Amino acid sequence: MSHRKVFNKVLIYASLTVLMLFVLLPNLWMLSSSLKTDQEIFSVVPNWVPKPVTFEHYKWLITSIDLNFAKLMYNSVYVSVVTALMTMLFAATGGYALGRFNFPGAKSIGLFLLLSQMFQGPLIMVPWYQMAASWGILDTKLVLILIYGTATIPIGVWLMMGFFRTLPRELEEAALIDGCNKLQTFYKVIFPLVVPGLVAVVLYAFILSWNDYQYALILTNSTEAKTIQLGIAELMDSMGKANWGGVMASGVATTIPVIILFAVIQKQLIAGLTEGSIKS
Amino acid sequence: MVAVMGVDIMFDTIKLNFKKFNIAYMFILPTLLYLLVFQIYPLVESVRLSFTDLSFIKPGSGNYVGLENYKELLFRDPNFWTIVLNSFVWVLASTVFQYALAIPAAVILNQKLKLRFLWRGLMMVPWVTPVVIMGLIWKWIYDGDYGLLNYYLNTDIVWLGDSTTVWPAVLLASIWKGLPYATIMVLAGLQGVPYSLLEAAYIDGCSKLQAFYRVTIPVMMPILVVSTMISIVLTWTKFEMIWVLTAGGPGVETSILPTYIYTKAFQNFDMGVGSAVAVLSMFAMIVFVVIYFKVLYRLNND
Repeated sequence: MSHRKVFNKVLIYASLTVLMLFVLLPNLWMLSSSLKTDQEIFSVVPNWVPKPVTFEHYKWLITSIDLNFAKLMYNSVYVSVVTALMTMLFAATGGYALGRFNFPGAKSIGLFLLLSQMFQGPLIMVPWYQMAASWGILDTKLVLILIYGTATIPIGVWLMMGFFRTLPRELEEAALIDGCNKLQTFYKVIFPLVVPGLVAVVLYAFILSWNDYQYALILTNSTEAKTIQLGIAELMDSMGKANWGGVMASGVATTIPVIILFAVIQKQLIAGLTEGSIKS
Repeated sequence: MVAVMGVDIMFDTIKLNFKKFNIAYMFILPTLLYLLVFQIYPLVESVRLSFTDLSFIKPGSGNYVGLENYKELLFRDPNFWTIVLNSFVWVLASTVFQYALAIPAAVILNQKLKLRFLWRGLMMVPWVTPVVIMGLIWKWIYDGDYGLLNYYLNTDIVWLGDSTTVWPAVLLASIWKGLPYATIMVLAGLQGVPYSLLEAAYIDGCSKLQAFYRVTIPVMMPILVVSTMISIVLTWTKFEMIWVLTAGGPGVETSILPTYIYTKAFQNFDMGVGSAVAVLSMFAMIVFVVIYFKVLYRLNND
């Protein structure tokens, strides 16, 4: 290799290192703090490698009554799983309709799905609170599932539309010739081919619901309904520095599941997201 | 007569279409109904509430007060215009910085690297980190007593509590969270640049850097425009990131329209005024979206 090439390689890997440090250090700091003794957490000189490693904060997490970790984790899992499954039903059907049929209105519906992703969060909070109160579902898991659907369904249908479009046109014709009716064509021929896409949509919907804070903040407050994210935010406000190790341990425990899920669907999800915005 | 025939033909086409696409209509209907009830209705209701004096702590409230809430915000509220300005600064600065860093980041991740798939995956960690967790990590980094930043800079600043440092601090956290998304968008753009074009530029005597400015960037322009526009629109409604870091403070220093909706409606229990803020914010967003589609349209026609 010439000097120039060596220099280029060094430059590229040096920049990669800087980039990775910026992206990963905050989370690594959380991980490291969660494994430190209280004394070490508050030491003047920050230590990146805990010495000694302690699991006392994780023990606190499991047994604490302040946070009620197990119950809130259960709520989060419950709400996210149901939202993800519900999203799957809408995404499979809606995506099929938009991705395989050029019916009048299909284009406007696609546009509408794109737009509806923009009108979320605080813009619909007040009427949602009202609505939930008048239906008597305030502070329940159900209300969270319903409002998460407004975020996950448009994106889910949109992503599935893309997956359905990648399948060759001839599939339906062949199925019809073989004597399948329209419904059979869908679930016997087309559906099995988009399962990987559907898995990506389900896990993405799970991640979106799992990570939500704003809707849980306005719509829930009892231990019966609230999610772990809200629990941690409240813990931070009430205890903060007094129990820093515990806060960090709870942060690690709620971040690891989404990082693992993301690693599983990374490829399909990134392809879907980038294509969605490029083609639109 | 002609009109009747026209109507007849119209009905026939509808019938025909329905037969041909019955399964498509059947399959899209649940999605449409869901969004109608749970998204369109709340948006419309938001507009209606903005003309009322609804408050949860006042029984019998919810009467129409005309434009009172809007007058209150636009003319009498001493903070409103600061908050509007903050919103623009927040959205534009977040997007500009995110993309300014995303371009070099994507160029690095587009090189022939060992374990490239791993680096690309790790790049997305901030994006999947829950926003509450992001808040608590960065609060600790910025902490006045034990913060990492103070230690390494050898300073003694309460980063999120000081009006001169709070914006840079909040923006840095926002760049951290938003950089992954911007980077994958730019990366997708980079991968779409045909190598033959770059080769032609090299043959013409361009250096790598020149080729990047003269070929890569212009070819990627449409994607850059689209994805920055998406970022702008999505950031406009983001409430959580600022809320977990500063809750809009100190004072209203980092308050933006989304946090103001929350403060008005759920802390002051003034749902009417809160809704009016939401409507004004929506109005601004619609202006954004119109510009967005105009730009898209022009790009498609070029």
